[in-house]
Amino acid sequence: MSRRENSALGNGVGSGVSELESRLLKTGAERLALLGKHAERLMQAYTRDDVPLEGLSDGALRKLLAARVLWRPDEQSGVKLSPKVRDLIAEMLADETRRHVNADVAETLELIRTQVDSYREARSKGEHWRQEQQLLRLRQEVDGLNGRFADAIDSLWQRLNSDFGFVSQLNDKIRENDRAQKQIVRLLDGLALIDFDELIALVGSDGSLRKLLISQLQNRLSHHYTSLREVQRRLIELMARFRKQQARSRLMTGMAAFLREHPGFVPGNYAQRSEVPALFNRAAPLNPAAAPALDHALDTRVLAELLHELPAPRHAAQNVAVANPVQPAEESLAAARQQALKLDVERFYLAVLDQPPAEPVSALAYLQQSGLEWADEIWLFQVIAEYQGLPRSEQQAFRLQQEESKASAFNDLRLIHDVALAVAV
Amino acid sequence: MIEHGPLLERLLAGDFICAVSDDNAYRHLANEETREAIDAYLRPLNRRLASNEDASVYFLAWRQLNDTAREQLSRQLADTVNSLLPMLEWLQLVQEALGRDALAAPGDVLKPAEFSAKCEDNQSLRERLERLATDNFFGSQSDQLDAQVKQIFKRLKEHGYLMQPHSERQVFVVTGKMDYLVDVVRFIRDEENLPIDADEDTGTQEALL
Repeated sequence: MSRRENSALGNGVGSGVSELESRLLKTGAERLALLGKHAERLMQAYTRDDVPLEGLSDGALRKLLAARVLWRPDEQSGVKLSPKVRDLIAEMLADETRRHVNADVAETLELIRTQVDSYREARSKGEHWRQEQQLLRLRQEVDGLNGRFADAIDSLWQRLNSDFGFVSQLNDKIRENDRAQKQIVRLLDGLALIDFDELIALVGSDGSLRKLLISQLQNRLSHHYTSLREVQRRLIELMARFRKQQARSRLMTGMAAFLREHPGFVPGNYAQRSEVPALFNRAAPLNPAAAPALDHALDTRVLAELLHELPAPRHAAQNVAVANPVQPAEESLAAARQQALKLDVERFYLAVLDQPPAEPVSALAYLQQSGLEWADEIWLFQVIAEYQGLPRSEQQAFRLQQEESKASAFNDLRLIHDVALAVAV
Repeated sequence: MIEHGPLLERLLAGDFICAVSDDNAYRHLANEETREAIDAYLRPLNRRLASNEDASVYFLAWRQLNDTAREQLSRQLADTVNSLLPMLEWLQLVQEALGRDALAAPGDVLKPAEFSAKCEDNQSLRERLERLATDNFFGSQSDQLDAQVKQIFKRLKEHGYLMQPHSERQVFVVTGKMDYLVDVVRFIRDEENLPIDADEDTGTQEALL
């Protein structure tokens, strides 16, 4: 009898439950549909502060407010997206600038404790349906906890793997990295709140609870713990890299500014110190050269083969009939004079090389002594041009001093009267 | 030693060896035994293997400093000092033109075409580029933007700051010699007590660990 009553009661409760369930399903589906129906408006609200209300009927607004998709913080302010919906959108978009990391472990644990108690109570009273429901809710709670950790870890990895690419400035990256590291510390603190000794005592001998709250949870949480530690390690590494980049940027920018302000700045000659700093001790380049040698019988054959493989030089046939009689054009005469001047100046340079080092030779004095017939100005021009045309390494072998004066007291134009060339010491 | 022949040749020619310029050789140099063998080989040439503090680049140093070596080092130092401002300005220009958040660092990829395009669109960048290209260090004779950029990249490649993985493709990678340049700048700042912002304290991260 009592069994029948029980089952009748069970049925009664069951039908009431299914009615409740179907109502929940219906309302839930209707409210979820609101998200799709107003998708564009909600996305506009996501990117700015307020929800744009133009064209939204009062009825629709009421529904959105009732579904807690939107809310109004107070009478004066506009209608805003509810924080949960904002989080949902950020999750769906993996929008790292707005994604929240939230694993409120303490509250979940509190909830789990209460639900375990309810579950136990239902079991002791033999209320199978309530027992099932409690187990389902416990499972959802545990899944939720897991999901929140997994989401948070996913968000952290995303940010890490993109090198915080969603912000462009290095300083912002450093701040974001700092924020992520703090989140990890909070997540780790949350994990530390879960005391498995306490959970073991709580579940007692119940098999399904034990499976859910001990073995499964422990397995997943240890996985989260490892991931979090790994992300943390990588974040710290990345932070060190950011800081290094920042220091580097500051150093180089600072030096550039300093050199621009002090154009004449010359550092000490570190090469003449008794201990030359390691950085500045760079040996002169040495080119290992080799030439064909015929003193090895074996090599001779190889060389002969190479010689045969050389492409034959191609001489274009010259047509003698069209050759013109020699008639130096004006240009080539000028070129010849230029060449002669260049040769004379080169002789001057060679003469300077014969002098004892550091003894300057005046270019004009040399011109007069050598009896050459170049105009002074042209001669000086060519001496200077020759110096400037030398490769840097050879230029350093000479020192060119210009004897010059201002054009007048008020004109800073410099007139060169003579140049003196010396071998550098 | 035979297997290190090409590496020795590069080192003797004055090249800087880093993970970008020659990954394979750089990995060999990470081995202390290889370094010792190379040092022994270089002894009669009065040279030894040297690196910057982080060991991110290797190069050859004089083993014994005689007067000729010191003279050569003085000239080299003067060259380095003369190249500082143009190099620093180029680094800043690249960072600004390409909108990067940090200075070009070893491993960064640079494309002359991208750089030209950015400078073309912006008068101020264009002017700075022009001034830089005609600086003695880069020595461009052209007034064409593309030719100027090309010359700058060519000189940077000659100086070992950039390398070009494929000779037919206009794509360059920053080498470890950039680290060397940073070290040189840091050294000069510290040695001459220049009023330039000190490094961020590096201790905080270690404290966190």
